[in-house]
Amino acid sequence: MIERLENMLAVIFGAIFLALSVLITLEVLLRKLFGFSLQGSHELGGYALAVGATLSFTLALFGRNHIRIDIIHERLPRLFRAVLNCLSSILMASFAGLLGYLAWNVIGDTLAYRSVAQTSWATPLIYPQSIWYIGQAIFMLAAIGLAVKSLWLLISGKLARLDEEYQPKSAKQELEDELDSASQRQRGPSL
Amino acid sequence: MSLDYIFIAFALMVAMMLLGLPIAVSMAAIGIIGGIMAYGLPFMNSISPVVWGVQNDSLLTSIPLFVLLGEILLRAGIADGMYRSLSIWLGRLPGGLLHSNIGTCALFAATSGSSVATAATVGTVALPSLNERRYPINQSLGSLAAGGALGILIPPSVNLIVYGSLTNTSIGQLFMAGIIPGITLTLLFMAYIAVSSLMRTRHEDKEANYSWRERLSASVDLIPPLVVFFIVMGSIYSGLATATESAALGVVTALIFAGLKRKLTWTTLRTCFIQTARVTGMILLIITAAFILNLTISLTGVASTMSSWVTSLGLTPVMFLLALVVFYLVLGMFMDVLSMQVATIPITYPMALALGIDPIWFGIFVVLMCELGLITPPVGMNLFVVHGIRPDNGSISGVMKGAFPYVLLMLLFAGLIIAVPAIVTWLPEMMR
Amino acid sequence: AQENTIQWKVLGQPLATGKIQSQKEQPFFENFAERTGLPIEINYQPVDTTGIKDTEQLRIMKAGLFDLVSLRMSPNSRDAPVLTGLDLVGLNPDYATARTVTDAYLPVLDEQLQESFDVKLLGAWPFGPQILFCDAPVSSFSDIEGLKVRVYDQNLAKFVESVGATAVPMSFPEVHQSLSLGAVDCAITGPSSANSAGWPEVTTHQLTLGMGSAMNGYAISLKAWNQLDSNQQETLQTAFNELNDEIWEYSESLYNDALNCNSGQQPCETGTEYDLVNVEPTEADLAQVREALLNISLPTWADICDQANPDCSANWEANVGPVIGLE
Ligand code: NA
Ligand code: NA
Repeated sequence: MIERLENMLAVIFGAIFLALSVLITLEVLLRKLFGFSLQGSHELGGYALAVGATLSFTLALFGRNHIRIDIIHERLPRLFRAVLNCLSSILMASFAGLLGYLAWNVIGDTLAYRSVAQTSWATPLIYPQSIWYIGQAIFMLAAIGLAVKSLWLLISGKLARLDEEYQPKSAKQELEDELDSASQRQRGPSL
Repeated sequence: MSLDYIFIAFALMVAMMLLGLPIAVSMAAIGIIGGIMAYGLPFMNSISPVVWGVQNDSLLTSIPLFVLLGEILLRAGIADGMYRSLSIWLGRLPGGLLHSNIGTCALFAATSGSSVATAATVGTVALPSLNERRYPINQSLGSLAAGGALGILIPPSVNLIVYGSLTNTSIGQLFMAGIIPGITLTLLFMAYIAVSSLMRTRHEDKEANYSWRERLSASVDLIPPLVVFFIVMGSIYSGLATATESAALGVVTALIFAGLKRKLTWTTLRTCFIQTARVTGMILLIITAAFILNLTISLTGVASTMSSWVTSLGLTPVMFLLALVVFYLVLGMFMDVLSMQVATIPITYPMALALGIDPIWFGIFVVLMCELGLITPPVGMNLFVVHGIRPDNGSISGVMKGAFPYVLLMLLFAGLIIAVPAIVTWLPEMMR
Repeated sequence: AQENTIQWKVLGQPLATGKIQSQKEQPFFENFAERTGLPIEINYQPVDTTGIKDTEQLRIMKAGLFDLVSLRMSPNSRDAPVLTGLDLVGLNPDYATARTVTDAYLPVLDEQLQESFDVKLLGAWPFGPQILFCDAPVSSFSDIEGLKVRVYDQNLAKFVESVGATAVPMSFPEVHQSLSLGAVDCAITGPSSANSAGWPEVTTHQLTLGMGSAMNGYAISLKAWNQLDSNQQETLQTAFNELNDEIWEYSESLYNDALNCNSGQQPCETGTEYDLVNVEPTEADLAQVREALLNISLPTWADICDQANPDCSANWEANVGPVIGLE
């Protein structure tokens, strides 16, 4: 299920930035060749980042890409390691929860002031910010889910599994992924 | 804010990080605890607009775009082809294929934001040939680790964007400022390889000669990265596009090249998307946390305390910079470099300004210090990476040994830009 | 007085804004207790050193962290469109008009901000007329027809497009390069910003017709305001009135000096000397600007502002209308 969610979020994320790239390219070309300006991509770029950022938080969470330093951690006895892994996921969930709360505040203010972007489209800010908030909420729920699971693994003493699923991603693991895809690409003649 | 508190908070943050707690959370936690201790709960509510302000900053949109650009070139196999082309061109130099290592890294560095991906890709293509021709393994690995580090200095560079956004410095000028130092450092590495090869008695590490026709036909793979680089930098330099717009131009160009190579499949694209999202998420969460920390740092007057402390020491700018070299060298041994950069800039930047150091120059200096951190043990991302790709079962200390000369070269180069700041500032000043 | 010293946090203009920030605002807050005689200790932070975007100032104040903000009107009109009423494009072609309009409109603004944001306005001042710099021989405003003009906000874009120019939004640091390469023909900013960014190196004419005044003001949270008794409030208001008057005068002298410097005239004390052709606005230009105000800026703004507060444009017409000669 997580994999399907991951795929979906990644496709949305990618589509946002591909579309943005094409739009910006068009705008730059129009500006250069015809002296004509669409005046929208700057604004859209900001919204794309806001929405894309929240999606990417969740994807980095699933991929265990949020950086943790394992220099000391990997040398600790298993119980310590397990406790730290669990603590990390709880802290991450708290931070995600905080971001969710802060985003809620932002939306509240925007509604109260009926804020409107200072651009040609005069976009009511509530539109992009609602989507941004949904992204932030997904991140929050995902992080809380993972934290609850890690706590459960710790309490029920399944330390090996906790280790396996919550250990910071080491350079070695990250590299294995890269090497896999590199060797897949190199079907051509080698030097 | 007294110095004691600052040092305690900084030590606490580094301790949390070293224990293996998430970097972003460690930074945000110190920022929030400090802010609430100083100002109570209103501090919490004032973070809201800051979070939206950061995540809605269209300047930072360039980060996912540049990461995506690098991913497309990588997954379309363009970096792989570059190594083959360069080895034909550079193989005759004393030191042979080691030059191709550095050269490919430098060229790919110029288009990709990620040094891990650069080192992994080049390593996989290069090591079989290096092994076959019996190049000394440690030196091969060292050159790969060091070459991979070039990625964050030669634009486009995510590290430079992060510096620019934390300090309100022009990304375009920072990118321009990175070019000459990047090339100079590359040449410095190559000169070292040539000299050390000539000093060795065996000279088998020279490659076969190729005809001009072979050279030219093999150069096809150099075209995409060069074109992308010139489009990105050219559009910034000519004022045609902002940094974010130039990234979008680069993405579209990379898509076209990937399409021409018939590598633009759905699977490839999906891999690009997932990888880009993961890297972006990691970076942006740290940046969000950094802005929360930054708010506390500036409100509580930490930056001005540190600035007046450093001025009160009566340091000259050069002494200050030398002290920073030591500081970053030590910190970089233990910390991930992006985190190191984000956690220290809010403090070191105002100190540098107080001493009259040029903001653009300082950005290049800080990123050079990050490069150093990538290849210094015990925590050096690029060391781990190339160690992971070595074909024999050697130890990581061999890699460290191979990378050590490059640590010295980078330190030497840091001294060089301190002595001759124009290496950095000349090109961006031309742009004004 | 020591036993109950009040601590206020002040969010100031960006360091990058130059002389008004460094010569007037920062010194005022750094010597606040001496200047006002009030038992208030100030912690002053320029907004760009905090990582807070200037669009977020009103929200930051609402959160309660800052007690006093040097409010940048244009960015904050996102949350409070009423602020734009002080500086509609075409409303303030010169300092004298800007001052009259400010005095007439300030009470309305103050009331609105108190109501919606719990913030009181202690005065407002301009960076000064934002004028046109062109790398083309222009002798009047209508000559920009067919040229590419750099603008910094949407209202300006509509305005220059109304005379047949192409508006190109672009951030300030990129303008010099774009002018020199011909990516744009003209650009709009204040004359001293233009001087310190070296625009006269890459342009030939300056047209001294103010299209906006880049207004700012001092906003204090009602919570902080109510910490003071009525005598202290009066003292505070007087101190800010003095500061505002000083800034108005200083702003105008900087403006005139920069115009001189740009066009190679004397006295030129604050900038580098260049040799731009100085073009005074014609009667027709002024009429055109007035036209644009009535037909473009005012109706566009009235729509947005009335959505936030139904009385918005009516209040404006009642207070500002008479002083600029609208019936
Ligand atoms: Na790069
Ligand atoms: Na290191």
